[in-house]
Amino acid sequence: MPPLVGIPRGLLYYHYGDVWCDFLRRLGAEPVVSPPTTQAVIAAGGRIDEVCLPVKAFFGHAAALTARTDFIFMPRVVSVAAGHYSCPKIIGLPDIMRAAFPGSPPLIAPTVNLREGRRSLYRAAAAVGEALGRSPLASVYAWQRAWRLRRRPEEAACLAPAGKPSVILAGHPYILYDRLLSMDAAGKLAACGAAVVAADRADPRAADKAAAALPKNIFWHYCRTLAGAALAFLAASPPPAGVVLLTSFACGPDSLVGELLRRQAERRGVPFLLLTFDEHTAEAGVTTRLEAFTDMLLRRRLP
Amino acid sequence: MIVTFPHLGPLHIVLKALLTGLGAQVLPPPPTGRAALELGARYSPETACLPFKTTLGNFIQALEAGADTILTCGGEGPCRLGYYAAVQRELLRDLGYSFDMVVVEPNIASVWQALRRLTATGGWRRAPGAFRLAGAKLAALDAIERAACLARPRAADCVDAARQQAVAAIDAATGPAAAAEAAAAFRRRLAALPGQDGPEPLAVGLAGEIYVMLENYVNNDLVRLLGRMGVAVRPTMLLGDYVRTHILRDSAACRRDRAVQALAAPYLGHYVGGHGVKSIGQAVAMERSGCDGLVHVFPFTCMPEVIAKNILPGVSDRTGIPVLSLAFDEQTGAAGTMTRLEAFVDLLAYRRKKLAGG
Repeated sequence: MPPLVGIPRGLLYYHYGDVWCDFLRRLGAEPVVSPPTTQAVIAAGGRIDEVCLPVKAFFGHAAALTARTDFIFMPRVVSVAAGHYSCPKIIGLPDIMRAAFPGSPPLIAPTVNLREGRRSLYRAAAAVGEALGRSPLASVYAWQRAWRLRRRPEEAACLAPAGKPSVILAGHPYILYDRLLSMDAAGKLAACGAAVVAADRADPRAADKAAAALPKNIFWHYCRTLAGAALAFLAASPPPAGVVLLTSFACGPDSLVGELLRRQAERRGVPFLLLTFDEHTAEAGVTTRLEAFTDMLLRRRLP
Repeated sequence: MIVTFPHLGPLHIVLKALLTGLGAQVLPPPPTGRAALELGARYSPETACLPFKTTLGNFIQALEAGADTILTCGGEGPCRLGYYAAVQRELLRDLGYSFDMVVVEPNIASVWQALRRLTATGGWRRAPGAFRLAGAKLAALDAIERAACLARPRAADCVDAARQQAVAAIDAATGPAAAAEAAAAFRRRLAALPGQDGPEPLAVGLAGEIYVMLENYVNNDLVRLLGRMGVAVRPTMLLGDYVRTHILRDSAACRRDRAVQALAAPYLGHYVGGHGVKSIGQAVAMERSGCDGLVHVFPFTCMPEVIAKNILPGVSDRTGIPVLSLAFDEQTGAAGTMTRLEAFVDLLAYRRKKLAGG
């Protein structure tokens, strides 16, 4: 029977989940991804203090896996590019896990720090293999094969030329694509009559260029990607009708980068809506604000 | 060119000595207080951390008073501090201020550039003297702060009055010898205080994020409050420690720093920015050095310290040292801090009695 390796459905799962599952399978393990977020999951993660909602949800997912898996896969992703960092909370995940859930199955928590070069990635792959009884060479090979599976972003999206007002929906994928955390903001916007374009569908090269043009490099990798994508859309011609940024309360990087985005949007005359989520956010409030925002966008188009 | 900079404990005394020595005209902001906090909070992003808001308030007050150049720090993450300057510059520009911002990034080329921009013509000849004077003042300020923290339980009022005089004397000192003498005189005054041979007061370590540890307005004057409750405070990081460890990279200070971080390894296995790892290491170190407890302070939503906060209860369970974590933001009330400190100190006193078998 292959060892069951739990993968919490949260945070970087939304970036690398497919690759991780394939990688673990190639090493002879059976990945078990926790089911989609529910209120119970968020409540279970609530024992972690003062962190943002996605981190609480992440630990709720991890808690759901403790009883039925042999290992929990929780890599410590320090950095995925030279000069960049992940958010500190992502760096500290395995330590918080050990402190808050002492009864959990052993963690597979290799450190990935590409500030130290690519060897860190191979060492991490080998460490996962070691925990599952595979040789370093086989593990690195498995990683290389799995990485090829990485979901290529669909073809870069374009803004709708006419018709509905196009709204750029920006936010970390772990909020954007978690229907409970984001309260299905994308669906709500579409229902209000907007053509929703997720910011992560920007052309990656244009996004990188837009981020590099900022006076100060955003050193949080995932925030830089997010900001670059939103800025690339803002620089498009014609610009989008509006920008909605989904963030969570107590998100450190977003608190500053969101402010930069707001200023950039306003300078270009593009309306900007910031929606901040935490466990007390009420769905009716989100609906009202999105409705008001799209109403305003529609009125702006009237002659 | 009139230079200003953010407050960080006694930093203004040291920077004033250094920059004036280099021939720059200096205008420190008024001490961080309610006005700075309110101004900063009004114009900052809502969920930015507290130091962002108060230092923005410092800048606004200084620019209003006539400063035209801001000296501040950059950084490379992952703590938010590294991105402060980029956002604060935009905010201040949009508020209509015109100013130069000199951002010191953590590399030698950037430090050199900043010094060149701030040094007046001919200032270089006086540079060695300016650095010596600033260094002497920094050492003297650290010395009196440490001594005051330990002596306060015996005679808080006398200590505070003497400390204020000593700080003023250090600020006014024109040579390294005068600064050192002010610190020595302060220690002599403490030695003459009564009550030397009373029972050993409770000892509490202070760890966490450096800005909140050093800015007394922001932390509700926590060190003095503890002193008045009869507790000797052991600060784990004063301004001089920070400068020696992170800027001068003095080998003895770095060694001590590494030793503390090593103590954290079983609990927190990687650098998480800021002082998160050290807060954990200091909890272990304080327990070993016989401290009765640890107070851990940080700005609300501070990313590195929030990680430490979630790990500290486990450290406390394993080592036995009681830990009180306190988050500060613009909503923090003095009475709330006071109540929690009183409860914590009561608990420590009870625990000491129990450990002594009483």
